[in-house]
Amino acid sequence: MTSVASIFTFLTKRRGGLLTVIGLIFVLTLFGVIVSDKFGTYSNAVNILEQSTPLAIVSLGQTLVIITGGIDLSIGSMVSLASVLLSGLTAGDPVMMYVAIVTILVLGGLVGIINAGASIYLRVHPLIVTLGTGAILQGITLLYTQTPIGKMPKGFDELAYGRVLGLPLGAVFTIVVFVVTAVFLRKVPLGRYIYATGDDAVGAQLMGLPRRKVLFVAYGFCGMMAAVASIFLVARLGAGQPYTGQNFTLTSITPVVVGGTLLSGGRGGVIGTLMGVYLVSLLNNLLNFLSLSTHYQLIVQGLIVIIAVSVYVENKRKV
Amino acid sequence: MTQSAQSQSQQSPVMDIVRNYGIHLVLAVLIVVTAILSPAFLTANNISNMLLQAAPLGIVVIGQVPVILVRGLDLSVASVMATAAVVATCFSGQDTDALPVFIVAISIGLATGLVNGLLITKRNVSPFLATLATMTLLQGMRFAYTQGAPSGNVPPIYRVLGSQTFFGVPYNLMILVVLAAFFSILLHKTTYGRRVYLTGGNPVMARLVGIHADRITIASYVISGGLAALAGLIYSGFVGIVDNWVGRGFELDSIVAAVMGGVALSGGRGSIVGGLFGAAILVVVFNAVLMIGLPIEFQIIIKGAVIIVAAAFYVRKTI
Amino acid sequence: MLTISKVSKSFPGVKALSDVHLEVKAGEIHALVGENGAGKSTLTRIIAGVHQPDEGTIEFDGEIVHWASPAAAKAAGIHVIYQEFVLFPNLTVAENIFLGHERRGFMNGIDHSRTRQDAADLLGRLGVKIDPDALVAELSVADQQMVEIAKALVHKVKLLILDEPTAVIAGHEVELLFGRLRALRDDGVAIIYISHRLEEIFELCDRVTVLKDGQFVATEQVEAMTNDSLVSLMVGRDMSELFPPKAPVGQTRPVVLSATDVSVKGRVHNANIELRAGEITALSGMVGAGRTELAMALFGGLPMSSGQIAIGGETFRKMTPSLAIEKGIGLLTEDRKGQGLAMLMDVATNISASDLNSVSKSGWLNHSAEQDIAKSEIENYRIACRGPQGAVLTMSGGNQQKVLVARWARTSKKVIIMDEPTRGVDVGAKAEIYRIMRELAAKGLAVLMISSEMPEVIGLADRVFVMREGVITGELGAGQIDEQRIIQLATQKRAS
Repeated sequence: MTSVASIFTFLTKRRGGLLTVIGLIFVLTLFGVIVSDKFGTYSNAVNILEQSTPLAIVSLGQTLVIITGGIDLSIGSMVSLASVLLSGLTAGDPVMMYVAIVTILVLGGLVGIINAGASIYLRVHPLIVTLGTGAILQGITLLYTQTPIGKMPKGFDELAYGRVLGLPLGAVFTIVVFVVTAVFLRKVPLGRYIYATGDDAVGAQLMGLPRRKVLFVAYGFCGMMAAVASIFLVARLGAGQPYTGQNFTLTSITPVVVGGTLLSGGRGGVIGTLMGVYLVSLLNNLLNFLSLSTHYQLIVQGLIVIIAVSVYVENKRKV
Repeated sequence: MTQSAQSQSQQSPVMDIVRNYGIHLVLAVLIVVTAILSPAFLTANNISNMLLQAAPLGIVVIGQVPVILVRGLDLSVASVMATAAVVATCFSGQDTDALPVFIVAISIGLATGLVNGLLITKRNVSPFLATLATMTLLQGMRFAYTQGAPSGNVPPIYRVLGSQTFFGVPYNLMILVVLAAFFSILLHKTTYGRRVYLTGGNPVMARLVGIHADRITIASYVISGGLAALAGLIYSGFVGIVDNWVGRGFELDSIVAAVMGGVALSGGRGSIVGGLFGAAILVVVFNAVLMIGLPIEFQIIIKGAVIIVAAAFYVRKTI
Repeated sequence: MLTISKVSKSFPGVKALSDVHLEVKAGEIHALVGENGAGKSTLTRIIAGVHQPDEGTIEFDGEIVHWASPAAAKAAGIHVIYQEFVLFPNLTVAENIFLGHERRGFMNGIDHSRTRQDAADLLGRLGVKIDPDALVAELSVADQQMVEIAKALVHKVKLLILDEPTAVIAGHEVELLFGRLRALRDDGVAIIYISHRLEEIFELCDRVTVLKDGQFVATEQVEAMTNDSLVSLMVGRDMSELFPPKAPVGQTRPVVLSATDVSVKGRVHNANIELRAGEITALSGMVGAGRTELAMALFGGLPMSSGQIAIGGETFRKMTPSLAIEKGIGLLTEDRKGQGLAMLMDVATNISASDLNSVSKSGWLNHSAEQDIAKSEIENYRIACRGPQGAVLTMSGGNQQKVLVARWARTSKKVIIMDEPTRGVDVGAKAEIYRIMRELAAKGLAVLMISSEMPEVIGLADRVFVMREGVITGELGAGQIDEQRIIQLATQKRAS
C-alpha cells in the first residue's frame, strides 16, 4: 500500500506532465468514441498501434540522445537510407534479406558513433554535426536511388500486419524494447551516467564518469533504432523509398518533448516518450476520423510542440 | 601577462593568414580550380546565372546572421519563403496586386519571426525547437490552404525582379546589395547593432548593462522572418512556378553559409559580409558540381560535410 | 602519501603555478592556504587529474604518476570535494552519493533500495537528516554540502581534498565534519584542507603549506605559527601596505541609497541597509547568506518581492538594471566570465557597454570616440593589454577586473557595488584595486563591497553589514570591525 502511495506521489510530484499526457489520451479517446462509432473499435485500436511502431522506435533512440543533452537531426535521413538499402540489397531474396538487415543495423550504429565522435573530438554541437551528417546521408540515399527500390521476400509484411495474442507484432516489439530500455536506464550504472552527463557534463567529467562512452552508446543506439524503424516501415510499404524518413526528424522529437524529457538534458524518460507517441498517433487518427486532410496533422504537430515546450518551462533562474 | 597569448599567435603567421582570410582563399581557389576543370564556368552567361541564384540565398543569410549573432538559429526561413511564394500566386497574378502580395507575404514573415522571438525569450524555448515548430505549423497551414497543389501566377513584376537583368546585372542582386549595405551599417554603425553583438557576446552581461536583451533577440527573429519572406517573393519570380517546397533546403544553406563566413554559433561574432562570402562559396560549389558533371546529389553531401568542418574550424579558432 | 615537486602550469594569459612543492603524509590534515588566485584551485585540479602539469612530478603512494583524467586519479584513491559542488540536481540524493560506485543487486543491476538504505546510513553517520529520495535540486546549500561530504565516505580514499567545505555550513555541522575528518585521519587517510578561515586551520590541521601568486612560500607545523605570522606569509607584506587609509572617523556623511525591507524570494528577508557617500561599506557573511542576491536586488538584476529603495530623493518599488544605471548605480558582478564581461570581445567594447550614449549620437556609434575613451581609461587604470582592441579573454584576472571598474566608474555617479572585487586577482593588482575603491569613495561615491576575505573587510571597510540566511544580523561601524564580531554575526542563530 505504501509503495502505491509513493508511486502516486512520485508521479504527481516529479512527473506531473506524464499524468497530463495520460489524461489527454483518455480525453481524446472519449472524444473519439463520441464523435465516431468506428473510432472505439478493436480494429481501429490495432490500426493506431500498427501505425505508431516506426515512430515509437525512432523516438526511443532520440530520447536517449536528448537525455544526454544532445539531439540527433540525422535520424530522418538515416531512416531513408536504411529503408532503401534494406529493400534494395534484399531484392526479393530471403537470404540477402538477413545480410541487408545486419548491414543496416551496423550502419545505423556506425553513423551514430560518427555523430558522437564528431561532437566529442571536433567539439562541434551535436545539432550542427547531425544537421551535417543528415545532409550527407540524404545525398547518399539519393545517389543510390531516386525512386522506390527493390522488394522484400513474401511474408515480410507479417512484421507490419502480424499479430501476437491479438496485438500487432510491431506494438509488442515496441513495448518490449521500451521496457528493456527503461530497465537499462534505471538498473545499469551506464544508464544513470546518461542522465548525469545530460544534467551536468562538466561535473560528470570531474566525477570521472565515462562521458565519451555515454555519448557513443546513446548516439549509436539512436542510429541503430533508426535502422530498426526502417525495417517496420519497409514491411508496411513493401519497398524502401528515398524520402520515407524525412518527417521523422521532427516527429521523433515531438513525443519526447511531450513526454516530459527536457531538451536541456538530464531529466525525463522513455515511458513518457511512449505515452507521447500514443498521444500523437491518437491525435492523427482522430483527425482522420474528423475527415481533416493530413495537412492538418502538421499544424497540430507544430502546435503540440509549442504547447508542450511552453508547459515544461525549463526553470533556469534568470539572473 | 599577455605574453603567452602573443607568442602563441606569433608562432605561425601563415596560420594567422589562413584564419583571417581563409574564406576568401577558399573562394578564390574554388573559382580557379573549377575554371580549369570546366571552360564553361567563367562565361558571362554562367556568371550571370550564378548571381541570379545567389540573391535569394544571400537575402536569407542577411536575416540569419543577426539571429545567429544573438546565439540563435532560424529553421523557419525556408517555410516562410515557400509561404511567401504561395501568397504571390494567391491573388490575380497581375501587377496591380503586387503591393497586396508584398504586404501579406512580408506580414506573415514578420509575424513568424515575432512568434519565434516570443517563444524563445518569454518561454525559454530553445531556438532550434521554436523555429522548427513554427516551420511545421506554417508548412501545415500552407498545405491545408493549397490542398497540396498551389496554382496561379506570380505577378509579372516579381518575374522581372527575380529573373531579369539590367545590362547584365540582375535586379535581384541589386536588391541584395542594398539590403546587405543597409543591414551591415545597422549592425556596425548604430547602437542597435552594438546591442545585438553584446547580447550575443554575453546575454547575462547584456541584461546587467541595461540592454533589453529580450527585445533585441525578438527583433533579430523578426528581421529574419521579414527578409525570408522577401527572399521567397524574389525566388518565386526566379523559378516562375510555385510549389509548396519553394526554398527547400534554404534553412540549412543559410546556416552553413553564415558559419562558413565566420559567424560564430556561440554568438557575438561575425558579419553580414562574411556570411555573404559563405553564401558565394555555396553557390559556386553548387554550380561547380553541375559544371564538372558530378551528380547533383553531391551538392547535398558537400554541404553536409562543409558545415561540420567549418564549425570545427571556428571552434578551434576561439579556444 | 603525496609528494609534488617543481610543478608548473600555465593557461592562456596566466601562469597559474610555478615550481610548486607540496608534501602530504598519510594520517595528517594538511592545510593549504593562500589568497584568492594563489593557485590553490589549480593545484587541486592537477592532483585530481583534471589538469596535467606542464612541468614537474607528482608522486602518489610511492609511485610517480601521470593522471590523464579525473577517473584515473579517482581510481588511485583520491577524492576531491570542490567548492562549487559536483552534484547532479536532477538525480536523487542517494543516486548522487553512489554515482560511480553503484550498489548492485539482482543480476548485477543497481539495487535502489540498498542504495537508499546505505545513503541514509552514511548521512546518519554525518548526523544530518536528509531524505535520500529527494532530488538534489530541492536541497538547501548546506544540505548539498553534506551530500558532497557523504560522497567522500562511500569508498576507501587514500587522499581527501576539501576546498572550502565550511563556506556554507556552520556551528553543529562544522563540528560533525571536523569529527569525521579527525576519524579519517586516525585511519591513515591523508587530507588536504583548503580554507579561508584561519581559526579552523589552527583548530584542525597538523601542518600548513602557503601559496602566493602561484608560487610555493613555505610548509610549517601549525603549532609553530600564529595568526599574524600566517597572514604575513600569505600576503607577503605588511597588511598596512596593502590597504589605503580609511575614511576619517567622526564625520557624518549623507546617505545616498537606503533600502527598506527589501526581500528577494527565498533568498533575502526584509533587509534594511544604508549606503553613505564617501564610505566603503562591506557586506559580509557566509557564501549563500544572500549577499549577492541583496546586491542584485539593489541593482535590479533580481526582482524585489517586497520593500523599496530610495536614491536621490526618489523611491522605487521596482528596479531594473537600466533604471539603476540611469540613477547612478553600478554593479561589478562576482562572476566576471559569466556575467561581467563579453570575454571574446575587445577592451573598448567592454568598457563602453553600459554607456553607449557616451559613444554615440542619436543612435550612430562614434568608433573613434570609443577608442579614445578606451585609451584614456587604459592609461587611467593602468590596464595591461594590447590596446583598446585587445581581447579581454587573454588578460589576467586583475586586468579584467580593472576593465570592469573602468566601465562602471563611468556611469556610477552615486553608488558602485563590487561583488568579490579581488577574486582571482594577484596581490599587486589587489592593492591597486583597493586604492581605486578608496579613490572612488573619496570622490563622493558610496562603495558597497561584498567580500569573503576577512582581512579585506577589516582592512578596507568603514562600515560592515553582516548577513546570515538572508537576514541582516548586524551593522558594525568604525572601531567595531573585527574578526570575532563579524564571525559571531555571520554564524549566530536567528534571534526570533
